Amino acid sequence: MRLALPYIERIWRAEGEVPLDEPLTPAEAFARLDPLFQTPGTTYAVEGDTLTYAKHNPAAQDKLATFTSGTLRVAQQQDGAAKLVFSVKSKALLMVFLAPLLFLAFAQIMTVANAWEKAAMEAEQAEAKAAGKDKEGDKARPKAELHPLDKMLGAPEPEDPSKKKDEMKDKEKFKTTPAYVLAGIFFVLFLVGRVLEPWLLKRTLRAALASATTESESADSAAELCSGTT
Amino acid sequence: MAGVQVGKRIIGADAPVTVGWENIGKVEGGPFKQFFFTYFQPAVLFGLIAFWYYAPNEWALASIGIAIGLGFKVLLLGLEWVNPRYRSWQLTWKEFSTDLFYVGLGYTILRMVDAYIGDGVMIEAVQNAFDWEKFSWFTGLPLLLQAILISMIFDFGQYWMHRGMHNWYPLWLTHAPHHYITQLNINKGAVGNPVELFLIGLGIGGFFDFLPRAFLLAGAIGMAVSTYQHINVRFNTPRWWRFIFNTVEHHSVHHSQDYEATRSNYSGTWIIWDRIFGTCVDGEAELLGMEGGRRMDITETMHYPFTEGYKTFRAWLNRRFAIPAGAAHQPEPAE
Repeated sequence: MRLALPYIERIWRAEGEVPLDEPLTPAEAFARLDPLFQTPGTTYAVEGDTLTYAKHNPAAQDKLATFTSGTLRVAQQQDGAAKLVFSVKSKALLMVFLAPLLFLAFAQIMTVANAWEKAAMEAEQAEAKAAGKDKEGDKARPKAELHPLDKMLGAPEPEDPSKKKDEMKDKEKFKTTPAYVLAGIFFVLFLVGRVLEPWLLKRTLRAALASATTESESADSAAELCSGTT
Repeated sequence: MAGVQVGKRIIGADAPVTVGWENIGKVEGGPFKQFFFTYFQPAVLFGLIAFWYYAPNEWALASIGIAIGLGFKVLLLGLEWVNPRYRSWQLTWKEFSTDLFYVGLGYTILRMVDAYIGDGVMIEAVQNAFDWEKFSWFTGLPLLLQAILISMIFDFGQYWMHRGMHNWYPLWLTHAPHHYITQLNINKGAVGNPVELFLIGLGIGGFFDFLPRAFLLAGAIGMAVSTYQHINVRFNTPRWWRFIFNTVEHHSVHHSQDYEATRSNYSGTWIIWDRIFGTCVDGEAELLGMEGGRRMDITETMHYPFTEGYKTFRAWLNRRFAIPAGAAHQPEPAE
């Protein structure tokens, strides 16, 4: 069953067509595309002029790794030329589209954790103050000295640790910036993938359709195709 | 497949592995390309050491280290594009997106988990339990020596944790998903079950008191060596480098489809640990993964240690306690 979601569907569905340079019957065209479906985890079936396929967790280098299911149809045009019309779906595109939400959620969790940590620290400081103790003053760490060899080579002297204390105050325990940056990267990655992957698919289909196969191979493959799934 | 004898073991009996430096591939191309891909790795290492050694204090910050690390990764992605080691490992949009998801977990939610139950807590506990003032002599050592010691001690911990993962089933369950990767790219180090990423992050390098600059230098050494573990770039790695440091050649052997080969090259940075403990195999492999190269998706990677562990436990219970169906009850053996 296909739900009618014309705009939302564009997130994960790609549609288009590839013109056939030479007049091919559906069986001939699908025979040339056959190597794309001879991979582990692929099921496909041909019904008339339409090929329907699905790939379960395809290999990284599988040419159809991004678009894991869909249909390919050979349509005859009025002028006698033929074209391959594809309508394919990509779980990967949908996941990359949703990924920014996940990282924004992580950022929210970190914000909550930061607020909780800050409150806990303030409570601890208030308690220490009430008890009359200055915790930070307890352990005054001496300034470290460089080895003479490093002094000779000109390495900068270490900073006095006591001077750095104030800089550490008011700093967030968990930085939310990486989460926001990642959300942004995934958004850009979705846009890139949404344009790049259908273009690569077209290129793959065009190259496969242009590949000349011997008549016997075509006949064998066509016979296999008609027999159903792999 | 015959395989090659390395020490007492036969490497490459299950799947192809190239053994021996004389048999591995070389950079193909003109003199500039040859020069670049021969000296790139040492030049970056020495360049980073010089930078962190002389950088003014206001530059010597962990945040700048992270920024350099990110810039370095982008540069390496470019090198993977220009001079791939194997076409069969070439990065695709989907692989990059998948890898980035794991990298993203490491920079966000795993960092939080680490802070509460990971090495942050462990280091604090150990530091409070002993009088580490006795080790203050460490900060008086030359900076580079401190850095090399920090890096080697940390890697020693990683070596044994990693070796443990390959030899003790509960730990292996967490590490197995990482071995389902079928190609190497620079982000593949982050791919795996989060429990493993948490375990491998537990180091012992952090227990010592050290100068911040020495720690940054150690981080730079780690970055300029261990990042290449998972890179898809063909280098003519210098002989001295591959004797001391881990390389993509070593790590591809570790990830090969050959079982015996996976039980080698456990270190992250210092392959010298493998040489000392007798687990080093010099060579390279192209066919990677488990179960003949089955790709593991994100969902399975997340639940594999738990579901696989549960299945094994059930099987063990059945073997231990269940009476086989149809077996006649025989309380006493016949005399």
